[in-house]
Amino acid sequence: MKGNKEKRNIFQPIKEIIKNGNAKVACSAIIMGLGQLLYKKWGKGCLFLLLQIALICYYVFFGASAIRNFFTLGTIQSNQWFGIQGDNSIIMLIMGILSLIIFILYFAIYYSNIKDVYQTQLTVELNKKPKRFVNEIKDLLDVNFYKTILIIPILGVCVFYILPIIFMVLIAFTNYGGDIVPPALVDWIGFGNFVKILTLGQFAPTFLKILLWNFIWAISSTALNYFCGLGLALLYNKKCVKMKAVWRMFPVLAIAVPGFISLLAFKFMFSYGGPINQMITKGGGAAIGFLDIDAKWTARTIGLFVNCWLCLPNSMLYATGILSSMNKDLLDAAKIDGANAFKQFSNITLPFMVFATTPVLISQFIFNFNNFGIFFFLRGGLYMDGYFLASDTDLLINWLYNLSIDKNHYSIGASISLIIFIITSIISLIVYMASPSYRQEDTYK
Amino acid sequence: MKRLNKVYIFDSIITYTIILFISCIFLFPILWLVIASFSKTGSIYAFEGFFPKELSTNSFSKLFTDTMLYNYPKWFENTLYIALLSCFLGTALTILTAYCMSRFKFKSRKSLMKTTLVLGMFPSFMMMTAVYLLMTQFDLINKHWGLVLIYSAGAPMGYLTQKGFFDTISISIDEAARIDGATNMQVFIKITLPMALPIIIYTLLMQFVWPWSDFILPKLLLKEKDLYTVAVGLMSLDETEFSRFAAGSVFIGVPIIVLYFTLAKYLGYNVSSGAVKE
Repeated sequence: MKGNKEKRNIFQPIKEIIKNGNAKVACSAIIMGLGQLLYKKWGKGCLFLLLQIALICYYVFFGASAIRNFFTLGTIQSNQWFGIQGDNSIIMLIMGILSLIIFILYFAIYYSNIKDVYQTQLTVELNKKPKRFVNEIKDLLDVNFYKTILIIPILGVCVFYILPIIFMVLIAFTNYGGDIVPPALVDWIGFGNFVKILTLGQFAPTFLKILLWNFIWAISSTALNYFCGLGLALLYNKKCVKMKAVWRMFPVLAIAVPGFISLLAFKFMFSYGGPINQMITKGGGAAIGFLDIDAKWTARTIGLFVNCWLCLPNSMLYATGILSSMNKDLLDAAKIDGANAFKQFSNITLPFMVFATTPVLISQFIFNFNNFGIFFFLRGGLYMDGYFLASDTDLLINWLYNLSIDKNHYSIGASISLIIFIITSIISLIVYMASPSYRQEDTYK
Repeated sequence: MKRLNKVYIFDSIITYTIILFISCIFLFPILWLVIASFSKTGSIYAFEGFFPKELSTNSFSKLFTDTMLYNYPKWFENTLYIALLSCFLGTALTILTAYCMSRFKFKSRKSLMKTTLVLGMFPSFMMMTAVYLLMTQFDLINKHWGLVLIYSAGAPMGYLTQKGFFDTISISIDEAARIDGATNMQVFIKITLPMALPIIIYTLLMQFVWPWSDFILPKLLLKEKDLYTVAVGLMSLDETEFSRFAAGSVFIGVPIIVLYFTLAKYLGYNVSSGAVKE
């Protein structure tokens, strides 16, 4: 129902233009800017005309071949013996994406050109003078100030955010990586990489083991951080605690220290020559390799607690904020009715917190699911038997890093990123839909 | 009444014990680093348990003079350059974007906001392979301003906090100025910007801290030792160089901590209170 309505809204102006537009509008539809010139809007007409010429030139000289190359990814194999300069598939892929983006841009300009000339037609029909070019430029600093401002951020986000995303998604469907890097030719292979990850002896066992651990890690660390944060917030909120701000400063210290410093410090702390092992050896014991190659569950547990140390302050601050917005009357009423502290917590505070923090829980889950830093610092660079280029504490994101940055299995890495994205977005969608904050939006208002 | 009092005291004692314990947990690693940075011998093996036997400022002077293997001053300079540039660029872009999204009710606003939400769902270093490959193709590996570009271009994605702030500044002030004949640009520069000082400072801080303590992008894009940032440099230290690591960390960690705690107060106050009479 809603979709229909929106659709009508999009096509409504186009229909109107086709129905009511005069010959000059038609001129602009054929050659951009011609209609404006016929209305004696020289500045704007010339601008559109120049744009049209520039874009056509681009497509004649570069664009058309760029789009063709995008689909073939190059056909000429480079050959040093015969001195043949081969095609570079990756450059072709990037140029192809760019020319497709420019194509969309072309359409946008074309549409705004027709809309502009139609506006002019309407103004002239009302016997008014059309706006002068100078005034329209002045408008860019006033009524249309937002257009002037937003152009740079949007451009930046397109180049450094959207382009990499598109590029990554496309790479996942090629065979780029391993031996096949330019000057060798890269090809589209459809879902081949995903099939490889799920079935091939080299990748599949590693992938499944890491995926399982990734889930255990994300769930347990999110739960641990959440409940510890809530507990701390409740603790500092107790009536008998004086100078709350001072006590809260200690956990906040952990946020203020750059993350890599604390992580490296913890690595030193648990290393062979580190203080903990020194105390053990002094007490007569043998040094323990906390983060050693065979320290599967010790390393995992240490990771869990180090992550808690790092993230707990944030979740504590957040929980404090939410608690202060909670309606205290409910608690007072429960107290009068004779509920003890535990009952008050489990029946009033906790449901409210879960209700108010579901979105944060989701984002924390995603953050932990992709927590690159923890094991990269604590145990980076270990490759184990039974794992392909990974260790038993590595998360998918670490594996992805090992595969594509350390060794160049680019396309496999890209498909893993896609899988991560699909998993996390599906989970967050399901949790969000099932959460009380989505279903009954005004329970606590 | 007396029994209640006893329970209260007992409860307080337990609470304070837990609080003290937690404070120690958070303070201890940091204290450990600070004290370790003053170790005389420098090696972690010469420590008595957690703490060094003898104290001196040796590590700090070594950090800045012994630059043969680990060129800390150079790393520091690189980090400062990258962080400052991307801090100013990123803040400008973020504030402008947030202002537009809050003040102008243009047609494509809703769809733009939805797009940024969806894009935000792609965790940023899921794209690291792609960014790495693109930067290799554009020949931006081993270039500092390549990092600056990425940091500042990504900054406007987090415009929501700033938009929230602008939403709280009453639009009536803008309208009053508009009636007096100011253009939107004048309103922005002369009225909105001065009032947005707290959020600008907040943004500056955030945009500074991020490049200052990031390690993934520099690790990815900077391959030469002299181009390293402090984060990558400290990561490359040998395991025996513990005091040097501690001194280096203290040197870049302390300014950030001080910034946090001094600006924390400043970020709270509301400028536009009293400007509009309802």
